[in-house]
Amino acid sequence: MRIIFVGLLAVILNINLYAQESHIDTVAIMILNKMGTLIGELESCSFTLKTSSDEIDVNLGLVKYFKVNQVYLVGPDKMLINSRGDKGHIGYWYNGEKLMYYSYTENNYGVIDAPPTIMATIDTVHTRYGIDFPAADFFYPTFTEDLIADFDQIIFAGQSQVDGKNSYQIIAKNDQMSIQIWISDDALFLPTKFVIVYYDISPNQQFEGTFSDWRLNPELPNEMFEFSPPPGASQLILLPKY
Amino acid sequence: MKKSKIICRQLIYLVMILFLVSLTVEAQRMRHNSGGSRNKSRNTSVNTNNRQNRSINGGYNKPTTRDYSKQNVNRQQKPTTRDVNKSNIKQTNNSINNSLPNNNRNINSGNRNTNINSGNRNVNINNSRNVNINNNMYVRPPVHPYPRPPYTYGGYRYNAYHPYHYHGYHPYYWGPAYHPWGFFVATIAVTAIIVNANNQKYYYDQGVYYEKSGSGYTVVQAPDGATIQVLPEGYQTVVVNETTNNYYYGGTYYEKTSDGYTVVPPTAGTVVENLPEGGDEVKVGDKTYVKIGDVYYQPIVVDGENKYEVVDVTPVSDSE
Repeated sequence: MRIIFVGLLAVILNINLYAQESHIDTVAIMILNKMGTLIGELESCSFTLKTSSDEIDVNLGLVKYFKVNQVYLVGPDKMLINSRGDKGHIGYWYNGEKLMYYSYTENNYGVIDAPPTIMATIDTVHTRYGIDFPAADFFYPTFTEDLIADFDQIIFAGQSQVDGKNSYQIIAKNDQMSIQIWISDDALFLPTKFVIVYYDISPNQQFEGTFSDWRLNPELPNEMFEFSPPPGASQLILLPKY
Repeated sequence: MKKSKIICRQLIYLVMILFLVSLTVEAQRMRHNSGGSRNKSRNTSVNTNNRQNRSINGGYNKPTTRDYSKQNVNRQQKPTTRDVNKSNIKQTNNSINNSLPNNNRNINSGNRNTNINSGNRNVNINNSRNVNINNNMYVRPPVHPYPRPPYTYGGYRYNAYHPYHYHGYHPYYWGPAYHPWGFFVATIAVTAIIVNANNQKYYYDQGVYYEKSGSGYTVVQAPDGATIQVLPEGYQTVVVNETTNNYYYGGTYYEKTSDGYTVVPPTAGTVVENLPEGGDEVKVGDKTYVKIGDVYYQPIVVDGENKYEVVDVTPVSDSE
């Protein structure tokens, strides 16, 4: 029944939108809003995100790197990310005051002062240190607004299966990139997958992420967001970008 | 007759659906009019609502307009080219970042006083990290072109001949006569000689340069142009190019001249086995370098041995 309803809406609203010469699909926005509203109401969550990214090698062309990230968030000011992949094993602990970085691979760590909320910390660390947290975009309160502002086209592309789960597919596109987002077709509207294809850097260069193991509002102890350097670990200076 | 009734009923259904959709649109417009605006600062501050206080992102901001035409979207900054490795599609133009302190990018790493001299000389330990050291060392450009693109971070390019291969920074012990920059001694060995460089007087003893400092002497970075007659014991020969060698001791590079051995800046691409005390491991984006004075060393592996290569660091604007 829901499928029929969404389909009907899609047909009707698309007619309206084409009449207005707009490329923003209202159904896509509605689904994104559902997802954003749910995420915004979460007080804590955890999930696993498997990512693959393309990097240019002068001799080999595009080389794909894989990573598995386990993410734990407690609002408004606790975050733990455990990231294990081809480039090493790294942990980030955020306790509301400090962001602590530890490389299990290199046995070194760094500490930086952090803003008082998760989102401000993600933003600051990205801007100042070039550190990107997995799928951070989905957690921005203005995610949909930003898509509308930055992309010329946002369309609802129908339904498909992601890891056996029915998902709505939404595609946003501008001159630099396209983003495909899959959102679960169930009561929760959680993101299940995304693919970013870059046009302006190198043809077909992609970043892909698949979500799994979502836990909503779990009880997570504060202690897990504290970090103590292991014996023998050396302290790094994290060089800001500017 | 029956057929026309069915068509009529279908038309009524269609009109009702359209009416319902229009109602939804109007309802959202009304909410928009009474709600916030995108021009306001990003919702990263603590809200008064208790539930939002505990939200992982402060609560979702629904798009505040049904008119999605680009003219009505207030963006302060258009998207910029992003690194393909970054998953963020969010632009970072917001008030949080504007209020951040603009930290000095230069990290003063050359004046740490951690070495305690256990010998029998009369030595005072200066625990101050504020010793004024003349960090005038720079890196001479590489001899050959680099075979791979540089690593770029924060507006600088980091070039090296060898691939990056992390290994921990373990300062090398050059013997009891060696002291790191910033080290203070009350008296100096009688074997010390005076060398002049850049119109300044230095004291030199067994590979270490001192400046008069109050009631004693402070170890300083070897001044470019200072010339000694005999290389310190334990020096290593490092290859700069096919015709030139440097002689390396405790982070200082010497070149053979007609007068003896003259202190020169390191040449980018030079590979050394050991680094002196007083450096810092600096995480530059994805890579961890060792910074001694103003020189960045990239950890590398050559024939199975851990070594360091002098990195050529240039502003992006210089080569564009």
